[in-house]
Order: sequence, then structure tokens, then C-alpha cells
Amino acid sequence: MVRRSSISSIKRYRWQELGLFIIPFMILLLEMTQLLLARSLRTGVVPTSSLTVKNLPTIEGLIPVLGLIAVLLAINVLLSFTFPKTDQVLLPLVGLLSGIGVLMATRLGPNLLPFPDPALGSRQLLWVILGLLAFLLTLFGLRNMNWLRRYKYTWALFGIILVGITLAHSLRANLDSPTHDQLNIGPLNLQPSELLKIFLVIFFAAYLSENIDIVSGGNLRIGPLRLPPFRQLGPLALMLGLALLLFLGVRELGLALLIYGIFLAMIYLGSGKISYVIGSLLIFLVLGFIGYTLFSYVRARFAVVGIDVIGWTSKSEALYQKSGGGFQIVQGLIALANGGIIGTGIGLGHPTFVPVVQSDMIFTALGEELGLAGLFAIIGIYLLIIYRGYRIAIEARDSFNQLLAAGLTSIFAIQTLIITSGNMKILPLTGIPLPFLSYGGSSILANYIIIGILLRISHNTAMEREGLA
Amino acid sequence: MPLTLDVFLLILRLLLIVLLYLFLMQVVIAITRDLRKTAAANAYADNNAPPVVGHLIVVDSGPSNILPGTHFDLAPQTTIGRGPTSTILLHDNFISSEHTRMWNRNGTWYVQDAGSTNGTYVNNQPAHNPLPTKAGDIIQVGFIRFKLA
Repeated sequence: MVRRSSISSIKRYRWQELGLFIIPFMILLLEMTQLLLARSLRTGVVPTSSLTVKNLPTIEGLIPVLGLIAVLLAINVLLSFTFPKTDQVLLPLVGLLSGIGVLMATRLGPNLLPFPDPALGSRQLLWVILGLLAFLLTLFGLRNMNWLRRYKYTWALFGIILVGITLAHSLRANLDSPTHDQLNIGPLNLQPSELLKIFLVIFFAAYLSENIDIVSGGNLRIGPLRLPPFRQLGPLALMLGLALLLFLGVRELGLALLIYGIFLAMIYLGSGKISYVIGSLLIFLVLGFIGYTLFSYVRARFAVVGIDVIGWTSKSEALYQKSGGGFQIVQGLIALANGGIIGTGIGLGHPTFVPVVQSDMIFTALGEELGLAGLFAIIGIYLLIIYRGYRIAIEARDSFNQLLAAGLTSIFAIQTLIITSGNMKILPLTGIPLPFLSYGGSSILANYIIIGILLRISHNTAMEREGLA
Repeated sequence: MPLTLDVFLLILRLLLIVLLYLFLMQVVIAITRDLRKTAAANAYADNNAPPVVGHLIVVDSGPSNILPGTHFDLAPQTTIGRGPTSTILLHDNFISSEHTRMWNRNGTWYVQDAGSTNGTYVNNQPAHNPLPTKAGDIIQVGFIRFKLA
């Protein structure tokens, strides 16, 4: 009997996940070694000419990475005994991204301009470990998906209250500081909008799944467009309007864009009607135009997108010199160009000329030090995460779980799209973090909570397929 | 020739990129294998599954005014409750809007409580987690008792 149970637990072990962890661990150790070598090269401890075993960095420098590896392995073992059937691909992908994020924070911290921050890497590591704890708490704590569905208005209210507090808080503060969406509680610097996204997706998923027949019926006609009846559309529009207003109030353009994108994705997934998407896009264009004419900062952002980097006219120079103008973007582009195809190598570039490189502009730092090849690999990792999320959504058992998983995955997709294209001067730059890579505690916590919910849905689906629990 | 640090760093950099792409390849392979496995499992289930049939027969209507002996057909995914979207709609104050979920997997009916107030029981055992049932089992939804047939 004992042998039998041990065999079955070996069979149930998450070997696939463990196998997928091997290369990320190697990558992280390798990168850390390179970073330590590059540092000692810069400080002149190691002569360039010769390389001996003595010059190699000691094992002590690798401790942060080894710590992260140990935590990920512990989670692999823990999940093998508790959630053996849940998705095995997401964690290695996410773990690699977080590891690279920790390394980049470690690398950028001491060189940050104007205020160096050597503890940036260890703080990021701490946040990732806290994030993994939040992931486990979500996975274990979410015993019943109906809690999310049933208390949808409560979640929505939570989100609105959170942001309302920040709004009140930031109105007292200076509106011209770069980010307003912050809540300072003691030493913590929280961004409530990160949680608001999750609450909004839960609300939209619950609401749409309950009214799916009515919403996709569309019996209100305005010209060629068929809209769902106002009674069903009302709460959705109200939530959306509130969220957007709050962010236009605190001038967080990127978040408004993200929330609208999530709304579009979910209403399309819920109803399967392309006409809603086209209609909402038209409304968005109108709103965008109004914003463009009303707010000068929106115009300034758009002007930067039009900056001519190659010709470098006097107009470009003026935009570049203007405070809050094109300096950040142009420096980012220079960093990307400096990276070339294979990059300068971790610790050997100069990414810190770009303002706020550790959070909003992390993509350019990665581009400089890992090169075009590295960036493509990172975008590939995001694509795989998103693919996997939608796969979990397709396999989920009912429309609420499907919409929830798809909506949460859309957060990653839209966020990555907005910030990477912002960094590359394709869209106006907005201050939203790149999932898992940017420095920032709330973002990491929120992203890991999302992964926790996704894995819980995957677990429920697998349990149902087996017919057991 | 001694290895200079520059060369070593270049090798590390190239190795890093190679590893990144190897990892991507490994994940893609794992995903495709998964996809094939689920496709095969689904095809097997579709080909071999007998047509799903099941009924619930009311044996004790409790405080409700449903007549004992009433037949309800079960769909492969069935929800029982007071809410209008339920597959089996029961108008009784002791039934929650989403009370019970039942589904068929490989010919066995599974019963799980959907977070109701008055609970779901299979042969007097609370069904917080999915419970397998067989024909003749008594399923109690709120205070209404059904026999599975």
C-alpha cells in the first residue's frame, strides 16, 4: 500500500513543470554571473586580459538568484502534492520573467540617475517572493469560484473605493508629478489601480456571464448598430465610466486605455459580436479626440510620437529639449539602437540615461543589454503566457470561468502591448508597468494574484475532467 | 591562448540568447504535446461515450409544492436552482438561486453543491466537493429529495 501511494505520487509529480524550470534557472544563474563579472570589470577589480578561476565571482553573489530558485522549487514540490493537475507551463514562464526582472533591478539600482538605489534589486526580490506567497494564498484560498461571481458588486465597490481614496489623496498632492495613482501607507507605496483591474475583470465576467443571452441578443437599434437594452448595459457602462473618470481625473492615460481595452475584449468574448467592438472603438476615437483637444498633456504625448528621430529637425530638437517632452523616448530609442542584435550584455550598457528606466522604460534597458534577439525571446515568453491563459479559458467549465480567465489574460496582453509600443514610439508613452519585469511591488503582487486565479481555474477544470475532487 | 574576459563575456551573452530560445522551444514542444493529448482524450471520450441519459425523480417534495414522482431530465451539464438560468428550475424558498451542479463524466453523474444556503446531500452526505453517484441514490437539494434514475 505504501509503495503504491509512493508510485502514484511520483507519477503525479509535476515533472513537466520541473523540466521546464531547468533552463530558466540556468539562464538566471548565467545572467547573474555575467552581471557580477561586468561589475568587477567596471570597477577594475579584474584585469581584462586574463581570466582565471580566481577572478570568477564567488558563490555569494549568486545568493539572491539561488534564493529565488529555491522558492520556485519549493512551490513546485508543494503544488505537486496539493494541485498536481493544474497548468504546468505558466509558472516556469512567469518565474523566468520575474527572475529577469529581479536581475534588471539589481543591475539598474546602483547606476540609477539621479539617485542611485543599490537596494532596488533586493527589494524587487522581496516583492517577487511576497508575490509568490500571494499566488499561493490565492490558489489555496479561492476554494469556491462562486465567491467571485456572487459578490460581484462588492468587488466592484472595493475597486472604486480604493481608487476613490487615491483620487482624494492625489488631489491634495501636486498634479504635475509624473504618477498620481499612488497610495502611501507608511513605508509602502501602493498603486491601487493594479487591484482595480482585477476587481473590474471579476465584475465584468460575473455580469456578462449572467446576462449573456440578453447582451448578445441586441434589441436596441441605433442606426446600423444593435445595442443591448439599457437595463443590461447600464451597470457595465456605469462601472466603465466611473473607472475612466477616475483615471482622467488623476491623468492616468495609460490606465484609462487599459481599462477600456479590457472592457472591449470582454464584451467581445461575452457576446461574440464584432459590431460592439466597432461601436466601442468609434466611441473611443471620439473620446480620444475630445481628450486631445481638451488636455494639453495628451497633445504633448501625441506630439512626441510624431518626433522625427532620423532626420532630427529643429522641431525634434525643440521637443527633445522641452521638459516632459521627448527626452525619455529618444533616450530609450538610443538605448535600443545601442543594443543592436545581440545586445551589450547585462551590466555593460548604459540604460540608466533613460529616465524611470526601472519601471516604465524597462523594455529599453532589456533591449540594450539583451539585444533584439533577447527582446524577441521576451515577447515570445509573453505570447506563450497569453496563449496559455486563453487555453485555460477555452477549457474552463462555464461561461463565468471562461470570461474570467480570458479577461485576466487580456490584462497581460493589453498591458504588454501598450507599454512596449509606448517604449518604441508607436503609441504615446503612458506609465503602466510591463508585467513581471518592471520594478514595483503592487504590480508584481497583482500579477501573481492573476496567475493564482488562472491556475485555480485550470485546477477546477482538470478535476472535473477527471471526475474527481 | 588564455581566455580573455571580453571573450568570456561574449560567450556568456551568446549562450544566454541560445538558452532563451531553447527554453521557448521547450515550452512550445510541451504545449503541442499537451494539445495532442487533450485532442486524443476528447476524441476517445466522444467515440466511446454512451449517450448520456439521466433523470431525477422527486421522492419527497419537502415544503415545496412540487408533486412527488415528477421527472426532470438531466443535461450533461445541469444546474439546479431558483435562478432563471438554471437547467432545472425549482420555485421553492429553500432553494438558492444556484443550488446544485450535476455533470456526467464517463457515464457517472457527479453532484456538487454550488454554494447554496441549505446544502446538497447525496445519501445524506453533504456534497461540498463533487461526489460520484449511481442510479438509485438519493440526492437532496435543500429539503427536496430526488432519486437518480
